[in-house]
Amino acid sequence: MGPLEGLAYGFSIALTPGNLLACFIGVVVGTIVGILPGIGPVGAMALLLPSTFALQPATALIMLAGIYYGSMYGGSTTSILINVPGEAGSVVTAIDGYQMTKKGRAGAALAVAGVGSFVAGSLGVVGIVLASSWPAEQALRFGPPEYFALALAGLLLLSRLSGGSVLQAFVLVAIGLALGTVGMEPISAIRRFTFGSIQLSQGVELVPVIMGLYGVAEVLLIAEAGLRRAQIVSVKLRELMPTRTEWRQSAAPIARGSVVGFFTGLIPGPAAVLSTFISYALERKISKTPERFGHGAIEGVAGPEAANNGATAGAMVPLLSLGIPFSPATAILLSALVITGIQPGPLLISQRPEVFWGVVASMYVGNLLLLILNLPLVGVFVNVLQLPQHVLATLVLLLCLVGAYSLNNSHLDLWVLVGFGIFGYGLRKLAIDPSPLVVALVLGPMMEKTLRQSLYMARGNVLEILTRPLTLTLLILGLAAVAAPVVMRRLRRRPVSEAPAQPAR
Amino acid sequence: MTERLLALAVVAASGAYLLSALALPSGTPARPGPGFFPLAIGAFGVVMALAWTLSAFRRVPAAGGHPGAPVEGFGRVVATAGALVGFCLLLSWVGYPVAALVFVAVLLRWLGAGWKSALVIGLTSAAGSYYLFGVLLNVPLPRGILLD
Repeated sequence: MGPLEGLAYGFSIALTPGNLLACFIGVVVGTIVGILPGIGPVGAMALLLPSTFALQPATALIMLAGIYYGSMYGGSTTSILINVPGEAGSVVTAIDGYQMTKKGRAGAALAVAGVGSFVAGSLGVVGIVLASSWPAEQALRFGPPEYFALALAGLLLLSRLSGGSVLQAFVLVAIGLALGTVGMEPISAIRRFTFGSIQLSQGVELVPVIMGLYGVAEVLLIAEAGLRRAQIVSVKLRELMPTRTEWRQSAAPIARGSVVGFFTGLIPGPAAVLSTFISYALERKISKTPERFGHGAIEGVAGPEAANNGATAGAMVPLLSLGIPFSPATAILLSALVITGIQPGPLLISQRPEVFWGVVASMYVGNLLLLILNLPLVGVFVNVLQLPQHVLATLVLLLCLVGAYSLNNSHLDLWVLVGFGIFGYGLRKLAIDPSPLVVALVLGPMMEKTLRQSLYMARGNVLEILTRPLTLTLLILGLAAVAAPVVMRRLRRRPVSEAPAQPAR
Repeated sequence: MTERLLALAVVAASGAYLLSALALPSGTPARPGPGFFPLAIGAFGVVMALAWTLSAFRRVPAAGGHPGAPVEGFGRVVATAGALVGFCLLLSWVGYPVAALVFVAVLLRWLGAGWKSALVIGLTSAAGSYYLFGVLLNVPLPRGILLD
C-alpha cells in the first residue's frame, strides 16, 4: 500500500464512529491530564490501559495515543496561564509564555501554541508515514543478534540522554532488566525469583510499576508541597487572535520546531522534553533579537510547543516500524498491542494495516479535534485546576489503587504499585528520571530471548555475533553515546599543545 | 542522605538478586540456560550499584541542604504512604467499599480537609468507584463486611 492509499484507508478506519469516539476520549483525557500537575500522560495511559483490553487493537491504540499527544496541548495551557507546567514537555513554554500572560498576551500565546502543536502534529503524521516503511523493510532481515543490539543500544542511548548521571541510569536499567526476569522462564518453565508465589510466577506487571513511578510518586510530591490553589487568569475569546506581527514571528519557529521535534522523537530518550530545550536554544540562537527571550518572545512559545508535538509523532516510528518502544509512553502502547493480541514488529504495517494506518490517520484527526477543543474551550479546561489539590491527589491515588487491582485481581499488584510509588518519590527527590527502568522492564524479556538465541546460533562464539556488520554498528553507536562525553571532557582538559594535530575519526 | 540510603538499598537488593541467580542453571555460552541472563544482569547491577554508592558517599552534600534536617511537608508524604499501605492491608479484610471510604476520608483529613467534607467525598468516591469498577466493569473487587 502506497502512502496516499494507506492514509485514505487509515482515515476510513479512524473516522468510524467507535474510533472517532475513542480518539475524542483520548484527547480530552490527554488535555485534562496535561493541565493537571499531579498526573501526567504516562500515568494516565497506564491507568486507562486495563479499560482497553476489550477493545479492538486499533481502537485501543487510538485512544491511548490520543492521551499521549493530547497532553502536550494541555500542558502548555497551564505553563502559559499560571506558570505551572502541567507536564515536563511544557516547562520551556512557561519561560516566555507566562511573560506574555503578564503582558496581557495570554490569548495570543495560547493560540500560537495550539496552532504550532497542530502544524507539528500534522507534519508528524507525514513524517511517520515516510519514516516507518524503510526501517520496517530493513528489520525484516534482522536476526536475534540485531534485535538484541538494537535494544541494548537504545538502552545505552536512553541512559545517556535521560538527564542526571549515566551511573544512576545504569542502576535503573539493571533494576528494570532484573524485574523482567521475575516469573516463569519461557523455555525451561523454571520459576525464577518467585519466592514460591504463584502470582509472581506470571511476572511483574508493567502497569502497576508505571502507575507507581509516575502516578503515586507524583501525588506524594504534591502531598509534600501541601495545599495550594492556583490563581487563574481568565482569557477572553477575542484576545485569542495573535496580531499579524506575532503570526509572522511564529511561522518559522513552528516549522523548525516541528522538524527538530520529529527527529528528536526518533532517538531513544525523553524526546518531548529534550526537543523543547533544543528548539528554544535554537530559536534564541538564530534570533536577531535574542534579548527578547525570557521577556515574552512569542518564538519561545511557538518553537518548543511545535517541537514537543513533533517529538510524540517521532517516538511512534520505532514502535510502529520495529515494535520496539524507547520511552515509557510508547512502552504502554506496546503493551496495549500485545494485550489485544498483536505481534508488534516490522510486519505490523503489512499484516495489520488497519492498526498502523488507522492510528496514523487518527493522530491527524486527533490533532484537529485538539485544536478545535483547546482554543475556544481553554477556559473550561483550566477550571479543572479549581479542584482543590488534596481532593485531586486523593482521588488519583484511589484510581491508581483500583486500576492496579483490576488488572489481575491480585494484591501483589497493589504492593508493587505502592512500593514503586515510594521508590519513585525517592527518585524524584534526587532528580533521577525513572524512564530507563520502565523501558528496560519492557525490553528485558525480548533481550534475554534474543541474546540466548544469538549465542545458540553462534555456538557460543561471541566473535561470530560481533562480526555481523549491523550488530557491530549498533553496539558501537550505543557505546559511543555513553563514552563520548567522558572522552570529550578528557580531551578538553588536556593542554592545547598535547592535543593531537589530527583529531581521530 | 536520601541518595546514600537508596544506593545502599540497591546494593543489598542487587546482591540478593545475584546470589539467587547463582542458584539457577546457567548453562554454557553455547547453550545458555535460564540463569545466564540473570547472572549477567546481577553482576552488572552489583557493580553499578557499588559505583553509585561510592560516588554518593564521596560527593559533598549541596551547600543549601541541611543533611538530616526534616523536609517541610515530609510528614504529609509519610501519612500518604501510610494510607496507601493501610488500604492494601484493609482491602482483603473489610472489602473494597469500606477500605476506599476509610482511605479517602482519612487521607483527606490528614491533608487538611474538614471532617464533613472528608466524609462526604469519601462516601461518594467509594460508592462511585465501586459502581464503576465493581458493577459496570465487572472487576471482582472484594466486597467484604459491608456487602456479604
